Formats: sequence, C-alpha cells, structure tokens
Amino acid sequence: MLRFLASRLASSLLAAALSSLVVFALMRAVPGDIVAQMLGQSGDAAAASALRGFFGLDRPIHVQFAEWVGQVLQGDLGRSWYQGKRVSLLVAEAFLVTLEVALATLLLATLVGVPLGVLAGIMEGSRVDAAIQVFNLAGLSAPVFWVGLMLLVGASSILGWSPPFAYMPPSVDLADNIAILVLPVLSLAVLQAAAYSHFVRDCMTAELRREYVRAAIAKGLSPARVHFRHVLRNILIPLVTFMGLILIQILGGTVVIESLFSLPGLGRLILSGIQGRDYPVVQGALLFVVAIAIVVNLVVDLLYGLIDPRLRP
Amino acid sequence: MNARIAGWAGRLAGAAIAAMLATTALAQDAMLYGKSDPAAKSGGKLMVGSLTEPPALDPYHQGADARIRVTVLAYQGLFYEDASGQAVPLLAESYAMSADGLSYTFKLRRGVKFHTGQVMTAADVKYSYDYLRDSKNGSPGAGDLSTVDSIEAPDDHTVVFRLSRKNGLLPITLTHRYGGVIPKDYFATPDARTRLNEVSVGTGPFKLRQFRQNSVLVFEKFKDYWQAGLPHVDEVTFAFMPNSAAMVVAAQNRRIDLGIFTRPQDAEQLARVPGVRLVRTPSMNQKAIDLGSEHPALKDVRVRQAIALAVDKDAVMKASIAGYGQVIGTMVAGMQDRWGLPLAEVPNQKPDLDRARRLLAEAGHPNGLEIELTTIIGYDWMDAGAVTIADQLQRIGIKVNIRKIELGVWVRNFQSRQMGFTFNDWPSSPDPSLLFYRHFRAQPLGADFRNWNNARASELLDRGREESDYATRRGIYNEFQKIMAEEVPTIMMFSADLLTVERDRVRNHQQHPTGWYFGLVKAWLAE
Repeated sequence: MLRFLASRLASSLLAAALSSLVVFALMRAVPGDIVAQMLGQSGDAAAASALRGFFGLDRPIHVQFAEWVGQVLQGDLGRSWYQGKRVSLLVAEAFLVTLEVALATLLLATLVGVPLGVLAGIMEGSRVDAAIQVFNLAGLSAPVFWVGLMLLVGASSILGWSPPFAYMPPSVDLADNIAILVLPVLSLAVLQAAAYSHFVRDCMTAELRREYVRAAIAKGLSPARVHFRHVLRNILIPLVTFMGLILIQILGGTVVIESLFSLPGLGRLILSGIQGRDYPVVQGALLFVVAIAIVVNLVVDLLYGLIDPRLRP
Repeated sequence: MNARIAGWAGRLAGAAIAAMLATTALAQDAMLYGKSDPAAKSGGKLMVGSLTEPPALDPYHQGADARIRVTVLAYQGLFYEDASGQAVPLLAESYAMSADGLSYTFKLRRGVKFHTGQVMTAADVKYSYDYLRDSKNGSPGAGDLSTVDSIEAPDDHTVVFRLSRKNGLLPITLTHRYGGVIPKDYFATPDARTRLNEVSVGTGPFKLRQFRQNSVLVFEKFKDYWQAGLPHVDEVTFAFMPNSAAMVVAAQNRRIDLGIFTRPQDAEQLARVPGVRLVRTPSMNQKAIDLGSEHPALKDVRVRQAIALAVDKDAVMKASIAGYGQVIGTMVAGMQDRWGLPLAEVPNQKPDLDRARRLLAEAGHPNGLEIELTTIIGYDWMDAGAVTIADQLQRIGIKVNIRKIELGVWVRNFQSRQMGFTFNDWPSSPDPSLLFYRHFRAQPLGADFRNWNNARASELLDRGREESDYATRRGIYNEFQKIMAEEVPTIMMFSADLLTVERDRVRNHQQHPTGWYFGLVKAWLAE
C-alpha cells in the first residue's frame, strides 16, 4: 500500500511539475500582457517600460519561471497583480464556491441519474426505457449554457423570479445562497444526470446478460434481490470511476455556468485571470486544479480497494 | 470730493464683482455632478447592474474605462468634466492662468477631507500630480501632463503648475480619467497600489466598502464629504452581470435599480415592463474603423479614401446597434456642437462608389484587393457591423475577410502600431486634444498608432493643446478634422447612445455622456 502511495505521489508530482511548466509557457506565449491591458489605448512607452519593470516582466523568462517555482516550493502561489491578494486565498475563496456547486450538482445528478439508469436497464426495451433514453439524449445534447439561459428566462417569465446576482456564502445568508445556486445546479445537473443514467443503463444491461444473473434467477432468487444485491454491486466499480470523472468534469465545466450566473468560482477566476493576463492567478489556480484532479483520481483508486478487496494495491 | 466718490465707486464695483464671482462659483458648485433636485430625500441602497467589471480600482495605474466608470465616485480631480465637456472647478475653487500661459495658479477648496479622515492640503495635490506625471511610476495619464515642468505649493490652499509649453487644456486634464487627489506619500507604503482594491483614499462622495472580483463592488456614503447633503443614497452596489440577457431578467424582476446596456438594442424588451423606464443619452464614445498605414495596401491614401467612400455609416450603425445612436463625421456625438466640424463640410462622408473605384484603380488595384478586417471577441456590435462593411466594400471589388481576435491581442497590436484594418471602440475623452493628440500626433510626442505621420496634423494638434481661447481652438480642431477626413487614418462611424434602464423609484439620475457614474451622486430613491 505504501509503495503504491509513494509511486502515485511521485507520478503526481511529475504531472504537477510538467503542468506548471506548460501553463507558464502558454501564458507567456499568448500575445499581450498586463501592461498592455492596464494602459489600453493610452499606451505610453515610458509608462509601459516602468510597469514592465514593476511586474518583473523585463527579466528573462527562465528567471521568472525559476522565481515562481521557488515560491511555489515554499507554499507561496504569489499575489494577484490586480487584486494584490494572495493567490492561495483567491483560489480558496473561489474553490469553495465551485465546490459547493459541484457537490450539489453531483448529489442531484446521482439521485436522479442512477435510479433512472437502473430502471432503464431493468426495463430494457420498454416504454419507460424509451422515455428515459429520450431524457438522456436531450440532456447530453443540450449545451449547458443554453439550459442555463432557458432556466433563467423561464423562471423570470413564468415565475416572475430571478436569482440574486451578488453571491452570498451559506454562512452569511443560507436562503440567499440557495436562491443563487438553484438554477446553476439545475443547469449542470441535467447534463450530468443524463450522463449518469446513460452510463448506468449500459452497465446494467451488460451485467444482466451475464451467466451468473441467469443462474441466480434459475436458483429462485427474486429479481429485486438479483438486481440490487448482485448486479448493482457489480457495477459499483465503474460507477465510482465514472463519479470521479463526473466530479472533475463538473469542476472543469463550471466556468460556463459561473459566467452565466455571476458566480465567483474557480472557472471565472481563471477566465478573468487569462483575460487580464494576471499570470500569478492563472498559474496558481491551474496548478490547484491539477492537484485536485490528481487527488480525486487517487481517491477513486483507493476506493476500488474498499469496494473490491481483490483490487487492493 | 470727486476722489471720495471715485473711491466709493471703486469699492462698490469691487464688491459687486466679488459678489458676482461668488454667485457664479455657487452656481457652478450647484451644477457639479448635474442638476440638484430640491425634492431629493436621503437614504436607501441602490443596486446597479453592470456589464463591465473593473479589473482593479487603482485610478493611477489602471487605464480601463470600466475602472474610470466607478472610481469617479471615490476620487476627485481639481476639476469636473461637465456634460458638455467643459472643466468646472471641483477640488480647485478657482484658478488663474499667467499672461504668458506658462503657469496656472489654483486656489483649493477648504474643508475637504480624504476617506482616511485627513484634511486635504496643497501638499497632497502637489504629491498626487507629481506622482501621476512621472513616467517612472507607470501611469497611463503621465503623457497628458508632459508639458508640466514643476508643481509648487506656496501655502496650504494654493498650488502652482509651471509649464514648459503652453497648455490650454490643463484644467480638463486635471479631471477624473487618471489619478485624483490622494494623501501625500500614499504610494510610498508597500502594496499601496493593490490596497486601493480594499480601501479608497480619495475625497469623493462615496468610499469603498467591498470589492469582490467577479461578483460585486459596494460603495457607501462618505459621511464627511465636503458637498453638504450629498450623496443622497447611503450605499451603491454594482453587481457584475455576465451578459445582457441576465441584465434584462434582473431589471424585469427588480433585482437592479439601474443599469447601462452596452448594446442599446438589448434593452428594447424592457420598454413595456411596468415600473421601469428606458433613458437614452447621447454619448462621448465612438465606434470607428482604423486604417493603419503600416498595412501594404492602406499606406496609399487613395485606398483609404476609396474605403471611406464605399462605407455607408448609417447602414453599419443600423446593423450594429439597431439605430440607437448618431452617425458622426469626425467628432463624437456628445461633443459635436462644441467641437465638431459641421457635417456638411466634412469630406468623404457620403458613399460614392464610382469615385471609390477610380481611386482604387489609380492606386494600382483595378481588379480590387483582398483585406482582413479585425473585430474583437466580446464586442458584439462589431460582428454585424463587420458583415455589413464586407458587403459594402465588395461593391468596389474589395474582398473582406473578417478575423475575430481576443482583446489582449488587439491591444498589443494597437500599441505596437500594427493595427491594420480594424474596428475600434474608443473610450470617452471629454476634450478634442485628449481625444486626438496621442492617437494622431507623430512620434515622439504622440503615439501615432496608425502610422499616419502627418506633419500638418501634428502641428495643429500641438497648437490646439497650447491654445486656451475657445474660438481659436475650435478653428484649429476644425482644420485638423478636415485633414483627417481627407486623409482617412480612421473612419469615425457613429456614437452609440447610452441606454439606461431605471426603476421608477430612482429619481434625478442624470446619465453623464462619458458613461461614467457621476449621475449617482445626485440620484435619490423615492422609497
């Protein structure tokens, strides 16, 4: 187990190092920098030169990279060039918003998608199965931003209601927090529930065709017992893997929904950082995203062992 | 006896002049930030929906128009740019220019406090403008003060600006675009620049309470503000909206009290919503097509003229902003009356396809040419406009390929004078010199972004900057505009109106033509 953890940790560190190098290089390859953004159409050569010096952009790139890596190794992601706040603080604040959206979406998508998939799998070929497949197809086809926009406009024109536009943490005002999150979570959950349902249905139908299922039914076990005690248990491993993938996908995909509903989450932080060429924010936030992906994958791997002892490292 | 009568008469005349000046000053004070409303009530919280978000709140180093829009509430210059583009004394109470035009003496308003609680003195004003004009500090406003040689503070209430060359537009330069008066030595402390996102240190009617990126910006009434009774509302919150659809929904459901639409036509659907009104104001912005002379085809003035003669500005405006604006010649709509060359006198304004084809043939393109037109991602009005222009130029044999690029890339191209053939959205500048000088003055004094390098135009721009007499300046800028329209380094297309949505409870909000939020100072809430 320890050897497994050590090997995963080493490969994770390598992935993080490579990612940071790629992000650092890509940001500098994008034309324009913060100085151009700050000066806009009033570009003054002397002022531009002074600002480049202020942000350290007049130094060779390898020196800038070495300095940043040195900071990161000491646990310091630097400070936002615009906001002046620590990048770690900005990332933590934004991540809490994104995590709240992601977990609520995951919960809702799981509660809706898994039962639908199980039902469709068990009732393969029936009208119920067809209806669920229509839902899956619609959910997977509809772009998230379109669903979000329709929900926003629909809630306004039918209910005469729209969410508040100033994000409120649950610790400050839970009611406002829920009001803000309802539509973005619904928008994301439609897609993810459809994806879940589609995946679970496929797993169920494949599993139901296996020999042991026929044998169990022939031995006189009730269909419910076979479905929920044996079949469902056997699809747990791919389901957990899928759940990890979905969580990463939600975390990565919230950028659209955060922009649509004015949520100050991680996606929007990265997007505004890229637009403003706030290098420390983009580098720090993307490094964090890479770390999250690594941790989620690690947790999924460890969960395999808990579900199926044969897979324990 | 005669001497005594003369003495009395002299004293009476002096008193009358003093009274007149005081009355004028009071009248000017009353007009700061727009007209006052005698029925105004104090209190309440105002929610503003905003489609633009400032990247930071530092008025010294951050040049974005989105920043200027909001920081005018917290920071003040020596002057206020009124709706007609004239400089009205603000933190300065009065001023005098020396006979040779090389020095300005400003008498400062007394009893002005900073948000920090300190009382403003001449030393603060000297520090603020010295910091701003020093290029080493990296302010986008430094170039505007390049004619200032030194600033002196002979006493606590007087500041003297000494100039190396005459500069008739100094008062309008000391308004709100960049800088503002802040406490002496403010920038000497570490992290001072970024701390401005947490605490404001100006003298404005509102002070910063909270700025949360990608979410909200909250200003609260500054209790020690020097204009008695202002501002009327206790708090202003800017909620940053991701798009027009969200703003429409927010206005329909009374989530916001006020908001400006960047594409006026997006607000149309609110026209019949009860409890909400749409207010249309001419603006000082302008939408233009720039023609950089570094482009192989555009360096020939005949090609530029041919393009100008093929473009139907009215059709482009209708496509871009559904007609919610004014077609312009060579001056933004909000300043046309005061500074614009009369439209009938502006050359190359009406489509003349035959002449355009002849000019193209003379320039060596008898079979037309192919050119790339750049638009900016996120500037939706450009998309429909670009398609319309492509269609119009096709008629004289110019094939237009439309290319969308990201704003950061566009700004880089612009600053490095590689703009080619591009749409442009000019920010507001309330004076012709501020509008034209850096853009069109040949290097090194100007930036000449379009590589125009026109000696006569540069000479006129220098003279326009030095001159302080309005009629003479107007003559200078009229001649400049004529040359510009003839040579076509840019085609000024139209000014989009500012379409503001206001809830009924919002009273006396007067939209400033710059689009900056000056109007919130005298706005009040009826509930």
